[in-house]
Amino acid sequence: MSLKKRLSKGEFVVLAEMNPPKGVDITRLLSSARLIKGRVDGVVIPDMDVGVMRMSALGGGVLMNQLGMEAVIHVYGRDRNSMAIQGDILAAHVLGIQNLIVTTGEDMANGDHPSAKVVDELDVVGLLSAVQSLEDGADLSGIALEGSPSLLTGCAIEAYKDDASLEKELELAAKKVEAGAEFIITPPVYDLKSFDSFYAKASALKVPIIPTVFLIKSVGVARYIARNEPWAGVSDDLIKRIRQAADRENECLKIAGELAAGLREKAQGVKIVTIGWETKLPVILDYAGM
Amino acid sequence: MITAERKPMEEIVECARNFSRVLLVGCNECVTVCAAGGRKEVGLLASALRMHFMKEGKNLEIIETTLERQCDPEYIDELADSVGQVDAVLSMACGCGVQEIARRYKDKHVFPMVNTKFMGASERQGVWAERCQGCGDCVLGITGGICPIARCSKRILNGPCGGSTGGKCEISPDVDCAWQLIWDRMKSLGQEDRYEEVMGARDWRTSRDGGPRRIIREDMAL
Repeated sequence: MSLKKRLSKGEFVVLAEMNPPKGVDITRLLSSARLIKGRVDGVVIPDMDVGVMRMSALGGGVLMNQLGMEAVIHVYGRDRNSMAIQGDILAAHVLGIQNLIVTTGEDMANGDHPSAKVVDELDVVGLLSAVQSLEDGADLSGIALEGSPSLLTGCAIEAYKDDASLEKELELAAKKVEAGAEFIITPPVYDLKSFDSFYAKASALKVPIIPTVFLIKSVGVARYIARNEPWAGVSDDLIKRIRQAADRENECLKIAGELAAGLREKAQGVKIVTIGWETKLPVILDYAGM
Repeated sequence: MITAERKPMEEIVECARNFSRVLLVGCNECVTVCAAGGRKEVGLLASALRMHFMKEGKNLEIIETTLERQCDPEYIDELADSVGQVDAVLSMACGCGVQEIARRYKDKHVFPMVNTKFMGASERQGVWAERCQGCGDCVLGITGGICPIARCSKRILNGPCGGSTGGKCEISPDVDCAWQLIWDRMKSLGQEDRYEEVMGARDWRTSRDGGPRRIIREDMAL
């Protein structure tokens, strides 16, 4: 059953994120994806995540299709103008990609091509409207299409530091939903209790909420997040739990699995992000009972 | 100079509609030179607005003034008394001036009366054309004093595209091909060999692509 159908039926969906390679060797991407085939409902393919030049999300998405896995590709306006974005969306549909996440690109200054020219013609709301327009059968100039695409289109809520910034994010999310977003990916959840208060507010948007589980890979990463993003919810207890574990790597996978399992009771899905540890996804899914 | 054009009257009227007292502020710099927002244009717009609202049976009180510059805090301060007497400020400066007023007078509405267009020069009486995009890394020294970033429609850095015909750009017969101009100029300077030099991919960080820009002069900063 497709991701769209599962979400519309209110079923819980499991997504895993995988980056295409920086190069043309797709061995690692394909072997990692094969490990979770049949265990996830979709593979999220970011587009040049964190500003690092890689194979495009469209290419990665098509590879997932060839494996018989459903792809969810990121689309954003930093690198492409309205012409290129619309063209790629038409291509995505024809190549079998059924799902998009419209998001914001990382600032070019933080990536590996800081001297590149930025496009930023369409923002998230503008891009969602473009998708809607294409689905309605016309491009952004109002010219009729020969066949229109049909896509499940989601968006993301950015990290929020406090109640005030959460309110702003939710207001913006409401705009995104109005512009056509059909589901929402949340920032990483490290604490199920704080997710409850977030969810109580976010569920008013009346679209499926899919929280992110970000695999903390070491005590160092946990400390880094706690120090630099104190609002994210990485507690001292969590750091202590990893530090005191006999097998720290396994404990990290277990924590991610437990979070995913806990979120099953609370949200409409989960997106698991492993940043380079995609081969560990089966273990996380085992711990999550998924 | 920074060039600008006055906004359409209908848009200006809608900005002023909900107020009874406004301050209309011109700028003595660039927008005066391009006849969009100087003292003369302030007078003309104030009269037009008064007449418009008079016909609607409404009295709009307008305080008229023109500052030496609107992009400089010391001149913006001169407006304090007038701003205190009005409901809103209508600025005829470029976007820099409008934002300086908004920054200084935080509790006052401010509206732009012109559309800021580009950094350009006067080609002849009544005609201004774009000359600079402020890319932050000037190449004029190697392109014969003609800018391919601002004046080539495609911002091409290594010679003309196939759309250059008879010295004109494919987008319009009114637009000169920047690379034809560059070639002609290099030829007249006897620098044809420099044309062979390849310009690599630009570093766009110095332009707006690197985010909003600032210049900090430590030797001048207080």
